[in-house]
Amino acid sequence: MAYIINRLLSVALTLLLISLITFVVTNILPGDVAMVIMGTQSNPEALEGLRESLGLNDPLIVQYGRWITGMLTGDWGRSLVFKEAIGPLIADKVTASALIVVMSMSIALTAAIPLGVWAAVHRDKWQDNAASTTALLGVSLPDFFWGIMLILLFARYLGWLPSSGFVHPAEDFVGAVRHAFLPSLALGLGLMAHLTRMTRSTMTSILGQEFIRVARAKGLTERTVIWRYGLANAIGPVMTVAGLQVGYLFGSIIVIESLFNFTGMGWLTYQALLNRDIPLIQSTVFVIAAVVMITNLIVDLLYVAIDPRIKLP
Amino acid sequence: MSGFFTGKGIFGGGIVLLVLSVALFAPLLVPDAWATQMDMRARLAGPSLAHPMGTDQLGRDLMYRMLLGAQSSILIAGTAVLMSLVIGLPLGVISGYFGGWLDNVLMRLVDTLLAFPALLLALTISAVLGPNFTNTIIAIGIAFTPYLARIIRGEALRVAQMPYVEAARAAGTNDLWMIVRHVLPNIMPPIIVQATISLAFAILAEAGLSFLGLGTQPPDASWGLMIQASRDYLDIAPWTALVPGAAVAITVLGLNMFGDVLRDVLDPRVAS
Repeated sequence: MAYIINRLLSVALTLLLISLITFVVTNILPGDVAMVIMGTQSNPEALEGLRESLGLNDPLIVQYGRWITGMLTGDWGRSLVFKEAIGPLIADKVTASALIVVMSMSIALTAAIPLGVWAAVHRDKWQDNAASTTALLGVSLPDFFWGIMLILLFARYLGWLPSSGFVHPAEDFVGAVRHAFLPSLALGLGLMAHLTRMTRSTMTSILGQEFIRVARAKGLTERTVIWRYGLANAIGPVMTVAGLQVGYLFGSIIVIESLFNFTGMGWLTYQALLNRDIPLIQSTVFVIAAVVMITNLIVDLLYVAIDPRIKLP
Repeated sequence: MSGFFTGKGIFGGGIVLLVLSVALFAPLLVPDAWATQMDMRARLAGPSLAHPMGTDQLGRDLMYRMLLGAQSSILIAGTAVLMSLVIGLPLGVISGYFGGWLDNVLMRLVDTLLAFPALLLALTISAVLGPNFTNTIIAIGIAFTPYLARIIRGEALRVAQMPYVEAARAAGTNDLWMIVRHVLPNIMPPIIVQATISLAFAILAEAGLSFLGLGTQPPDASWGLMIQASRDYLDIAPWTALVPGAAVAITVLGLNMFGDVLRDVLDPRVAS
């Protein structure tokens, strides 16, 4: 119990630090919200008046206090570009991106685990070389390059899937999956490469251990040894790395969603950055960092749940 | 040292050497004029004798632009990684070596920074500072610092608990001398490996930033910018995407292979 309370306090502290970093980074901007609203050619007196009324002349610490109070009470301000309340806007886009994140993670895991196990079982043979080279190629190509190649192949030449746009899953589920498929695949390929490398190295070290030899000596089939004994022990570290990759994924969706015109969280963040929509930048950056941190927390707790050797202190 | 002369080592090392020499010599051998000369009659032309890799939408030679792109890629990625080492090394070493409350505070900060995806952090910093060559370096350099600081701290912590450090302390060595003489030399191998891999990631990050218009700015040649420009002409001129894409892929592949081999040679603890 003490552990859980400790952990939750630490989460609260980290969230506070995240908000502080976000606020500081976005406030070293030359030019401010008033400038963005009125343009650089505006009348200096009018600009000063707007600054005063928006509270931009207050000390930074006061401005931070106002911002964080707003975030805590659900008043996230309005986007300058979209002219909408930021809270509902983000909630809407996060749902869209959740589809891509889940799909790309599923694609990556379903391909990476068998491939990594296969490479580890045939260690140093051609199978291993083939899998390792594929994985190395996967980590070496930028995901937006995969995206362009997928558009060329599946959308332009074969015409099987749409190359851009977003459909809400509640309206048309099949359409939503079809639109999310190519961006998810582009993200999933790079992710798969990382996870294959991880699965391979974890499995390799586990297959060399004593209990695997014992299992074989008992006369268990090779299949049982590899999947029931080997993978069961490798899955923890692989899941941890998959959880850590969620951070990488939230960086990549900015590029991929923009490439595919998929109007999710990454696309929204990019629009905010491009248009210097400062309130929106602050909120999107904060939300992404918070989601990444909470995902890592969940993975940590899952790890404890699936591995009986680890006890809560 | 024989570990270098495996297929992977020779291939990876060869690519790294090739890309470095292209980045170094291309600007001397290829005059800027060749890469910016527009041949309006040969816009989006396929590979030919005059233009071995074809031309872009303005009729500029893709091979020359690709060669010059190597320079900005390597220069930005290299300086950015160097910058994160310059900040991350003292932070990590002090944190790991001295421990205590300082370590707690520094690592809490680093862990928080790690919640920001590196690309998001780099994009935000670049957008905030205004995208240009120098700010791209600063953005990537800051974004990569927490990762390096974390790894360096772990290594410094490991070395600080070694018997030889204890022995030196018993013999009256002061902290500064201890760090310079015993800690730094022993944490260097894993850091060199990590820096090589970071270089690969930094090249991908630069391409991503430039692709989104928040990195290198035109008219400078950059692989990310070239891929960005190719998007509208994919149907009629796919080579405009393939040339810079292949350049990024080969460079990053070479660095990753070289990093793997370096790890096997320098850091035998984790060798497969």
